[in-house]
Amino acid sequence: MAIALFPALAMAQGFQVNLHGQKQVGMGNTGTGLVQDGASVLFNPGAVAMLPENYVQAGISPLFFNSAFQSTGSNQTFNSKTQVATPFTAYAVWGPKAAKWKIALGVYTPFGGLTDWGTDWVGKYSLESLNLKAINFQPTISYKLTDNISLGIGYVYGYGSVDLTKAIPLSSSSNPDGQAELKGSGHGNGWNAGIYVNASKKLSFGLSYRSEVDTKIDNGDATFTVPASLSTSFPSPNHFSAGIPLPSTTSFGVGYKPNDKWTTAFDFNYVHWSVYQSLDFTYEKTTATLQNTHSPRNYKDAYDFRVGAEYKACKEMALRFGGGYATTAVQDGYVTPEAPDANRVYGTLGLGYKVAKGLDLDLAFEYEHLMSRTQTNIETNLSGTFKTDVVIPGISLSYHW
Amino acid sequence: MMKNFKNYIYILAATAFVVACKPNFNSNPAPSKGAADFTRYISVGNSLTAGYADGGLYLTGQLNSYPSIIASQMTSVNSSLTFSQPLFDAAQANGSGYQKLTGFDASGNPVITAVAAAAVRGSINLGPPIGTVPLFTKYTGAGLDNYGVPGIKLNDIDNPGYGNANPYMERMFTAASPTITTSYLDFVTAKSFTFFTNWLGNNDALGYATSGGAGDVLTDKTVFNTKYNTLITRLTATGAKGACATIPDVTTIPYFNTVTVGAILAAVQKANPTVQALVINKKATTTPTDNTYGPAAATASDLIVLTFPTSLIGTTSQANPYPYGLTPQNPIESKYVLDANEVAIVKDYVSSYNATIKSVAAAKGLAVFDAFTFLTNIKANGLLINGVSLNSNYISGGIFSLDGVHLTPRGYSIVANQFISAINSTYGSSIPLANVSAYNGVIFP
Repeated sequence: MAIALFPALAMAQGFQVNLHGQKQVGMGNTGTGLVQDGASVLFNPGAVAMLPENYVQAGISPLFFNSAFQSTGSNQTFNSKTQVATPFTAYAVWGPKAAKWKIALGVYTPFGGLTDWGTDWVGKYSLESLNLKAINFQPTISYKLTDNISLGIGYVYGYGSVDLTKAIPLSSSSNPDGQAELKGSGHGNGWNAGIYVNASKKLSFGLSYRSEVDTKIDNGDATFTVPASLSTSFPSPNHFSAGIPLPSTTSFGVGYKPNDKWTTAFDFNYVHWSVYQSLDFTYEKTTATLQNTHSPRNYKDAYDFRVGAEYKACKEMALRFGGGYATTAVQDGYVTPEAPDANRVYGTLGLGYKVAKGLDLDLAFEYEHLMSRTQTNIETNLSGTFKTDVVIPGISLSYHW
Repeated sequence: MMKNFKNYIYILAATAFVVACKPNFNSNPAPSKGAADFTRYISVGNSLTAGYADGGLYLTGQLNSYPSIIASQMTSVNSSLTFSQPLFDAAQANGSGYQKLTGFDASGNPVITAVAAAAVRGSINLGPPIGTVPLFTKYTGAGLDNYGVPGIKLNDIDNPGYGNANPYMERMFTAASPTITTSYLDFVTAKSFTFFTNWLGNNDALGYATSGGAGDVLTDKTVFNTKYNTLITRLTATGAKGACATIPDVTTIPYFNTVTVGAILAAVQKANPTVQALVINKKATTTPTDNTYGPAAATASDLIVLTFPTSLIGTTSQANPYPYGLTPQNPIESKYVLDANEVAIVKDYVSSYNATIKSVAAAKGLAVFDAFTFLTNIKANGLLINGVSLNSNYISGGIFSLDGVHLTPRGYSIVANQFISAINSTYGSSIPLANVSAYNGVIFP
């Protein structure tokens, strides 16, 4: 009785978290071609040496992910449960006032996903819940070649964890379904480099590259709850290994400051999702029923455009707004409930306030709308329409001196 | 700071507002009844319609019958629709008794245990050829819309005495056996209705097949045609619309594909490598009326029934000293084998029955769920729904219940959706499909 178990761990654009600094979020998530604050550690390590001060800052963006699904031919709507994911950022930048160099450390969440559809929805055999976290630690050094050109490079240590549950179609008199839980963590290495150029007082450019972080999960815990008479088919506890290729991102950004009040920015990002061709799970103990799995994903590269602006209303306060459009990495037939991905548009608002000398409070708000997508998944035949909206307020504190 | 604080409040308020707005599908077209009228829906049929499963009719099976699933989906287009089934009450939930999977033996074979009947009120001897039949607790509920009667053939629908001999039909009547004088056809059409599903005809072929061609006869093709016409004429006489289903190829069900000649032979050869073949008592020709049987080596085309006691193989008795099933002098009895010639006969009859069903339904503009094609496809390719991989295998396949003929709740939900799709496409209605994931397959201990 082979029961196909294909714990699908898709990461779409939807799993790429782009909340890396509240000033930048407020401006439509732009920041590659600007020097704003410590978030340059992520957006463009090349710009770090251009920061006029030293920075310590931290922020958090509680993310409300609301997804809904309706099967083809059905009138029953299933909503994902509201879960609050908490992407965060922390940056520290330091260098002697007169020096041409700066050193920095960034800790941030480049990928993540938190989805909970519950145990009694139509797609429970594809996925019930997923909690995916990736945290990067990035020590960085940046050097100013001239007053107008600077470079930077950082090493990335990536930590990743996953906790995925799904139903197994095996009923007992007490449980309508068996349950599988895959829980594990791993790490990978990468780097982040960039170059920043002041073309004039008003115009600046940035180009950065964040490498792929191929995160390996070894010895994760695989727990199966099945009817007692089938327990030998699902050895439990069991262990699994899997690889998650978190793709590289190439960013190009432009900053333009027409006058003292206004700052505008444009970013383009290219995400090399095509590295994600398949998801393979290898179990420590396999049986005729529990086999290693190979699930084709066939992602394609994705890109996004972002624009944003900041208006300095007075010395203490800045107002920001922006928006963007991102394409999906998931091709037709491969959309899964983990992150029911689709092309998306988003808009952002932001507010910066100078609380005291050297202390900035930044607030941002982002609303993302994913295009409704009607799909039949090739692997599961789960057929229906996904609709998703994401709401993300955020707050950060920065101290600079 | 105050000014800033005010803005902060605005953002918070905006957040709360948007968080409360979940994506919805309100813009989708509302369910509609199309050209059909679902004021009263009745279901006509046999055990499959009654919700029979695991070798019996019991409450859980009744509650997951495909007509009850269809009716529940129909309430989206007619909120006042009620659908009453002749349910066994909770105290007698085990109904006629049924089979239960209680484990697997050392070689991985299922261990199946009988659950005793709970709704037997007595029995009656109707004399030859029927003999003694059990009597079940009467259904005393107010309404009756699911007329599924386990065991009934199309051939039985105009027999006024049939209800006396079939305890499942008898319990639907106020009168008791042997005083029933209303035929099935008169019974189901007595109260007006606006929509029906009809899945009669399976037993006209299945009774012959499951008894290995030995215990029952196939309904004559012409009789089938005549009675099907009578049935549909009566069901549509007052303008009701409906859906019919064809009869599956009996060779697609696990009852005939689980205990195979190859598997038995392999087990025998393990102990005795010199054995070349199993020997069966095989029908000589594909002529239905030719009742010549003789010993023959079994091939993969000869289908052994699920209930065959494999322990008989190789046994001897005082009356017959030759090892059972291994010698021409003591072949496997015909009742355990639907041999290749019998298979050909059943297939021919089913094909003729289905031609009748399709042409009669087409003449009346009725919807048709082609169960023959649907189950043949599942046998060949399996069925992948919502991430569940289903197939026609016994127990593990998820569609067929422990008797290898009837369906699991998940199987019945799939059938319900097939009926709904056929109804929607014929009448332009949009009855929503049921959620197959919400129904279970075989229950494992």
